[in-house]
Amino acid sequence: MTGEVDRLLSVPPSPAFWAAVVCYAAAATMLLVVLAGKQKLRPLALALVGLAFVAHGIDIGWRGTQHVHPAQSVREAIGFLAFILTGGYLLASAKFRLTIGGVVVMPVALIMLVAARLTPAGTEPESLSTLGRIHISLATIGVGVFALASALSAIYLVEERALKRKKFDAISFKDKGAPLESLDRLANRLIWVGFPIFTVALVLGAVWVSKLGESLDRPEYPLAGVTWLAFAGLLVARQVYGWRGRRAARLTLAGFAAALAVLLIYLLRRIVG
Amino acid sequence: MSELFVVGISWRTAVVAVREKLAFREEELSDTLRAMKAELPEVAEALLVSTCNRVEVYGVAKPGQDATGAVRRFLAEKRGQKPADVADVLYDYRGDHAVRHVFRVASALDSLVLGEAQILGQLKQAYGVAGGAGTSGPVLGRCLERAFGVAKRVRSETTIARGASNVSTVAVELAGRVFGDLSGKSVLVVGAGKMSTLAARHLRANGAQHIVVTNRSPEKAEALAAEIDGIAKPWERLVDLLAEADVVISSTGAREPILTKALFKKVTKARRYRQMVVIDIAVPRDAEPVIGEMENVFLYDIDDLEKVVHQNLAERAKAGEHAMKIVEHEAGQFEHWLKSQGVVPTIRALREKFAQIADAEVQKALDQLGRKDHTREQQREIIQRLVHLLVNKLLHQPTAALREARGDEATLRAEVLCELFGLEPVEGERESQPALAEPQAEPERKAAT
Repeated sequence: MTGEVDRLLSVPPSPAFWAAVVCYAAAATMLLVVLAGKQKLRPLALALVGLAFVAHGIDIGWRGTQHVHPAQSVREAIGFLAFILTGGYLLASAKFRLTIGGVVVMPVALIMLVAARLTPAGTEPESLSTLGRIHISLATIGVGVFALASALSAIYLVEERALKRKKFDAISFKDKGAPLESLDRLANRLIWVGFPIFTVALVLGAVWVSKLGESLDRPEYPLAGVTWLAFAGLLVARQVYGWRGRRAARLTLAGFAAALAVLLIYLLRRIVG
Repeated sequence: MSELFVVGISWRTAVVAVREKLAFREEELSDTLRAMKAELPEVAEALLVSTCNRVEVYGVAKPGQDATGAVRRFLAEKRGQKPADVADVLYDYRGDHAVRHVFRVASALDSLVLGEAQILGQLKQAYGVAGGAGTSGPVLGRCLERAFGVAKRVRSETTIARGASNVSTVAVELAGRVFGDLSGKSVLVVGAGKMSTLAARHLRANGAQHIVVTNRSPEKAEALAAEIDGIAKPWERLVDLLAEADVVISSTGAREPILTKALFKKVTKARRYRQMVVIDIAVPRDAEPVIGEMENVFLYDIDDLEKVVHQNLAERAKAGEHAMKIVEHEAGQFEHWLKSQGVVPTIRALREKFAQIADAEVQKALDQLGRKDHTREQQREIIQRLVHLLVNKLLHQPTAALREARGDEATLRAEVLCELFGLEPVEGERESQPALAEPQAEPERKAAT
């Protein structure tokens, strides 16, 4: 047990982590420069995102060699979530111009990575059974996919606002980003992918908690339920009532906010002990 | 030296009523160019470009001659005008000013709509016609090829061609912002105005496959549908047609709005709130502004479209400053090349003369080597002698010319030689030893034995 505590507390960030931090910061800055009008620098900005993604992946791999699993704790899972977010952004950028999204996603990924590596690990390791690891892994992937859908929804709202209010001199209009319909469709597809994964994670989490005999009155449990309800409601509203566009984007962001709140509570509890 | 010139008329100097008097039809260009070359001895090369915004002759004058006056007269007379009547609207450029003008025109920096793409194609076509007529030559050819390169550079290195520059392309751009690829999207044209026809054509060109036209007059709807390769549908089915359309272009002559909030409540519900772009280019407007506030309905009127056009043109004007710098730089390089062409005949003659001398001496040496077997030492002597003889023969004439010159002429020749051959004469050694040995007969005899 002592060895496990030591491992949680003493695995320092790898050099790849620092490289990823530098690349994330440089990519965010470069994307801002692109957004300001230097379109020619876009390939360079995306190359920096790619480098950040690779360095982040190497850091996760290196931690694996130190027996630190990406789903070992919520703290590790947050780092892995940032990795999924960056990978998804890179994939989507191959098809669409998502400069505005990158300006938001890169700093968010950077904050998540730093929070995952540099915040205090807490005084005790979590009791992780196989069930617990599967739960955290699936929840991380599910929330990661929701995060991507939320990023697209946020871009949708920014672009839609400029188009609706006829702000033709707004940066979001001048940047000629992804078309609204594509953003809406892609966000919907991602939620269809993320929702079953998150549902299974939630069920396994409930079983795990009941096996541990923990109380269910912690705020993260109802919040996780709220997340599930938000995305379930969104899928139903889209199918049955034809919800799309702004309304769907707002509900996606609300659902993701609930998911983020769950992660934050976990993280704070670990830090505070 | 040959000089490039431009003579022409454009939207900058004359209104269309004047421009059209000097315009040439495409099929007239070739014969006009041939006639110009035949009738004007001052013109060595010529190209004629005639578009709705300009009629210009790009040419090369024969050395020492000014062809612009003759070309001015030629253009006027060919179009049945008195030269004096069009003298004020015609402009001409010579030399570096002409080069800059050609580069500016090719890069669409002299166009009515800055950065438009058509002029480059028109210039390429005119260049092809001049080539076919046999009136373009090496200087004009090089100038035009460079101009095409400059235009490409300007388009790729600046934002001069970015953004739609007219109302109908802005309509397409706005629809693209919502839908991206327009293939598979349905377009409904309400009314049969000219602007909506143009916009529908642009949408068709950008991938919209299903275009429906509706009008209170079924005949007009049929006519427009036939013109834009669409389908005419009855006006009475307007609600259904709107519900099926992704992009609506409206330009009726109605005095009251026909696209009302009440109507669109039904339409958006029937569409299950799918995104919809409504382009209202009618004046008075066909759509109530309030429908633009409805969810997933994006409404733009003629003022909105013109606002985007003005904004894009302002952006292009900004990019034009950068583009002008590119043109200046490239024109400077072209002028440098053009000036270097003046010494080309001299270089060619020098090379030919040297080659003749070298060939003759090499042949002599080969003959000697072929007469009998030589030892390695003898072969070395023959080659050494060949080199000495070659150097002496090549330098004989310039050396003699230098010795014969007197006073300032001698100094000038010496300075030129020093510069050409990178020499640094040492003062004390002036006549102490012969710089060049005269050809000697002895080694030849020795080697031949």
